[in-house]
Amino acid sequence: MTLTAEMELIEQLKQKDENAFKLIVDQWKDLVYNTVLGIVQNETEAEDLTQDVFIKVFENIRSFKGESKLSTWLYRIATTTALDFLRSKKRKKRFGFIFSLSGNEEKEDGQIPDFHHPGVSLDNKERAKLLFKAIARLPENQKAAYTLHKLEGLSYREISEILNTSVAAVESLMSRANGNLRRQLEEYYRNQ
Amino acid sequence: MLHNDNIQEEVLRTLQSIDGIKRAKTNPFLYTRLKEKMQQENSRWEKIFSFISRPLVAFAILILVMVINTWAVWGTATQDSNTAENNITVLSEIASEYNQVASTGNYEYEMINQ
Repeated sequence: MTLTAEMELIEQLKQKDENAFKLIVDQWKDLVYNTVLGIVQNETEAEDLTQDVFIKVFENIRSFKGESKLSTWLYRIATTTALDFLRSKKRKKRFGFIFSLSGNEEKEDGQIPDFHHPGVSLDNKERAKLLFKAIARLPENQKAAYTLHKLEGLSYREISEILNTSVAAVESLMSRANGNLRRQLEEYYRNQ
Repeated sequence: MLHNDNIQEEVLRTLQSIDGIKRAKTNPFLYTRLKEKMQQENSRWEKIFSFISRPLVAFAILILVMVINTWAVWGTATQDSNTAENNITVLSEIASEYNQVASTGNYEYEMINQ
């Protein structure tokens, strides 16, 4: 989509044009879904959050000044929404754990469920499952940067625009993420 | 147990397992579901607004606000008068204490002079 067509679409959406909204959803739904899915690692939750992202887009389009590309803005909302969701999920789990101590709820064992990304080739399925489990244990910013780079194939510059940070900071995040993943996987294979 | 070189090779292969991964595709009915969700959200707000705007509910809220305001004003006024009373008590206690000290002083002075 050309920049002019994109700007035109945004203007139409600002007028709450339903056709423009449908076009935006159709054009960028997979981008949003894949980003959110990489972070939350659950297909049902990712679909629900994708809907939330587009609702936020529809409600906040007036705050979009056009200083960045629409896709950058969408990536930013998708990443924030997914990370917020994980944070609230963690809070609920902690609350559930307190309840379980008093014997009211089932016990939380802190296990990360298996996740199979639908875009992984069959021969890499088991290894990718291991890697996603390790990604789930990364700190938030490292997880976001790693997911955007590996799953969406974005450059460090694009990621820096999405995360509102410098390219050097993204490089550092990626290096730390790789180090953490390597350590986790080494530990796993050492115990095999 | 794996040898160290094998471990490094396994780690590398696992890290490369998502290289060239394909983008996950969302449900084809996403837009329909999205519209449904938006309508549900709107109808939820509509329900809340229509509930609040019912004459009986609006009147009850108005009464509640007035009661809270009255209680707040009354509470502040009572607190002020209590504070004033406390101040008077403290002042009179100080005054009586000083008076007593002064009278005791006079008594001692008189006893010495006798």
